[in-house]
Amino acid sequence: MELLWLAVSTIAIGVFGCVAWFWGSNWILDRIFPPRGPNAGDNIRRAGQIRPWLFLGPAILFLGTYLVYPVLDSFWRSLFNANGTRLVGASNYTWLAQDAKFRESMVNNMLWLLVVPALSTLFGLLAAQLTDRLKWGNIGKSLIFMPMAISFVGAGVIWKFIYEYRASGETQIGLLNWIVTTMGGQPQLWLTLPGWNNFFLMIVLVWIQTGFAMVILSAALRGIPEETIEAAILDGASPLQVFFKIKVPQIMGTIAVVWTTITIVVLKVFDIVFVMTNGQWGTQVLANLMYDWMFRGTPDYGRGSAIAIVLMILVTPIMVWNIYNARKEVR
Amino acid sequence: MKTTFCSTLAILALTTGIAHAQLVIEPGSDDRINWASLDEFAAAHPDLEGQSFNILGPWLGGDQELFQSVIAYFNEVTGARANYSGSDSFEQQIVIDSEAGSPPDMAVFPQPGLASDLAARGFLRPLGQETADWLVENYAAGESWAALGTYADQDGTEQLFAFPYKADVKSLVWYVPENFEDAGYDVPETYEDLKALTEQIAADGETPWCIGLGSGGATGWPATDWVEDLMLRTATPEQYDAWTTNEMPFNDPVVVNAIEEFGWFAKNPDFVAGGTGSVAATDFRESPGGLFASPPACYLHRQASFITTFFPEGTVVGEDADFFYMPAPASGDLGQPVLGGGTMFAVLSDNPAAMAFVEFLKTPAAHEVWMAQQGFVTPFSGANPEAYDDPTVRRMGEILLDATVFRFDGSDLMPGAIGAGAFWTGMVDFVGGASAQDVADRIQSTWSSLD
Repeated sequence: MELLWLAVSTIAIGVFGCVAWFWGSNWILDRIFPPRGPNAGDNIRRAGQIRPWLFLGPAILFLGTYLVYPVLDSFWRSLFNANGTRLVGASNYTWLAQDAKFRESMVNNMLWLLVVPALSTLFGLLAAQLTDRLKWGNIGKSLIFMPMAISFVGAGVIWKFIYEYRASGETQIGLLNWIVTTMGGQPQLWLTLPGWNNFFLMIVLVWIQTGFAMVILSAALRGIPEETIEAAILDGASPLQVFFKIKVPQIMGTIAVVWTTITIVVLKVFDIVFVMTNGQWGTQVLANLMYDWMFRGTPDYGRGSAIAIVLMILVTPIMVWNIYNARKEVR
Repeated sequence: MKTTFCSTLAILALTTGIAHAQLVIEPGSDDRINWASLDEFAAAHPDLEGQSFNILGPWLGGDQELFQSVIAYFNEVTGARANYSGSDSFEQQIVIDSEAGSPPDMAVFPQPGLASDLAARGFLRPLGQETADWLVENYAAGESWAALGTYADQDGTEQLFAFPYKADVKSLVWYVPENFEDAGYDVPETYEDLKALTEQIAADGETPWCIGLGSGGATGWPATDWVEDLMLRTATPEQYDAWTTNEMPFNDPVVVNAIEEFGWFAKNPDFVAGGTGSVAATDFRESPGGLFASPPACYLHRQASFITTFFPEGTVVGEDADFFYMPAPASGDLGQPVLGGGTMFAVLSDNPAAMAFVEFLKTPAAHEVWMAQQGFVTPFSGANPEAYDDPTVRRMGEILLDATVFRFDGSDLMPGAIGAGAFWTGMVDFVGGASAQDVADRIQSTWSSLD
């Protein structure tokens, strides 16, 4: 009850505060530079120069406080020892370079990067194209899109049940092992199969992200000018040719945006691994490794921050490319 | 942060209410409790009237109420006011509060490692040689307990800083007496017998052990308890101590041997229910279920006293399920080592009432009042074992009293990155097929990289 009250009042204060700020600051600005009287022209120009900053001000302030400052602070902390009492220079980074778990995480993250965006985009594109002119296409799309509504943690729990293992002879409560045993096979410990388990985890993210790719790509497909397709058909192009030679090239920009967006999600993947294996059995990834050092047992702020910085450095170029592509799309 | 603050406020509000609550056992009414010790304590501390101090600890819920029922006697006989507040993020809060210069007067540490850390930074007050001697004389395996609370201070001088009170017993093997009777098995007296029994059960075509290491994000910890218990049965207590502080490297042959000893049980597909593969995948909470299956999926389960919570509903401990002391080897002379956990009281301010509270914890009554309720085991030989309300808990208490060596959960003494990290993952890898030597080497290399 107390929490509910807190939540409601926070929302109320937040919304009211925003309205008050925009309306109030605008009103004050208009009082200082009234858009009438002898200097109306000058006043309107001056007010016009200040107004964007008034409106952007809170956003800039909060982004600075909650985004830029933490990044700088993380970097600063990554130069210190475990409890932040002694400057150790780059030694957290040299430790990273030699740590077996970090190398494992890097390799796994690379695998995730190769597999998940590719499969999600591919499946999304296929789903978008195949359901495009079907009567029940929208139902199909809704079903594929639905996993997007499930949190990563929820998805992890669901799929953990799908991979659940019971010793042979016991009733299998995991879907996959139930299928295997019904077909006469031996139940498998899917999540501990070295090497393979990484792919079993990736499937979960592909399952979630395919819907996202499908929705964006489906809109892009619809946006292709009909004339180009009609012209190709008149010239005798087969459906496959139309798809690969006419449609795909025209939506290449969108595919790039979808691809990079999923790539960023993948680099930050944490929840699925945390819930399903917690990085054990050789499935460690960077974000989970960072969490381990930061919060498990006695916290090691130095190493946790160092991993966070590495993660950020990896994400940044992809993000830049993503924004570049998205802007190109808009133009 | 805000929620922590709010909940602390709420807990404070609660505690002040309970402080005036009635005493759970009317003084003088229960002759199992040494009431005279309370009066003596009060007579020795006449000047506490009206003083008050705060205790911060990890106990919440039931344990909080039980501890408050003990505090009530202190308040009653001295006229002082001890206020206890519990926190589920005690480990973080005590560090923050100490560094911010507003520590509680007294704190209850679930891990000696944390207390030792704070002592080294000068936040704890020494309890004095007299209390250290008292522990040696009055606690079973008293040297071990005194050593547990002795840390180096800011100048590096070793002193007693923490007073152990309320212990847990980990060296327990659980079984179903009925299954043992049906199959004609006897409770093993020695470690050699235990291994022979394991082989015999397997030879009979049955599965001896249920072992489950799964525990969500903490998967692997039950194996660290196994290794600790086996360290105490294959190595000397001194070697155990050296291991927990890394004076002896993690990949020393002694440790590798203990890990392999665990592998003797866990890595033999005939010895564990579901085969080796299922050991790491089975949740530790589900693992004891195999004892109660029909026909039994296993006959033995090694786990600390708290595991009864995860027994099937309606299980009566002592009848449907029972335990025996994880036996010590007959050969060699390692004595009767007991692995356990426990909480330690430390004073963080100059409050004389808080210091007096340590004296209060030395009275038999301070132990007996909690023993007469539930969930409390003590190594204090001055406390009346008759006070245990539950015969099962009394037997756990006896295991502690019979111990010649007591050692604290080793992984709790190691740095967090090892004891709650590399050691866990290492054990999972070990059960998954890695060799003991490889695993130990990897853990040691992580430990060496810490500063």
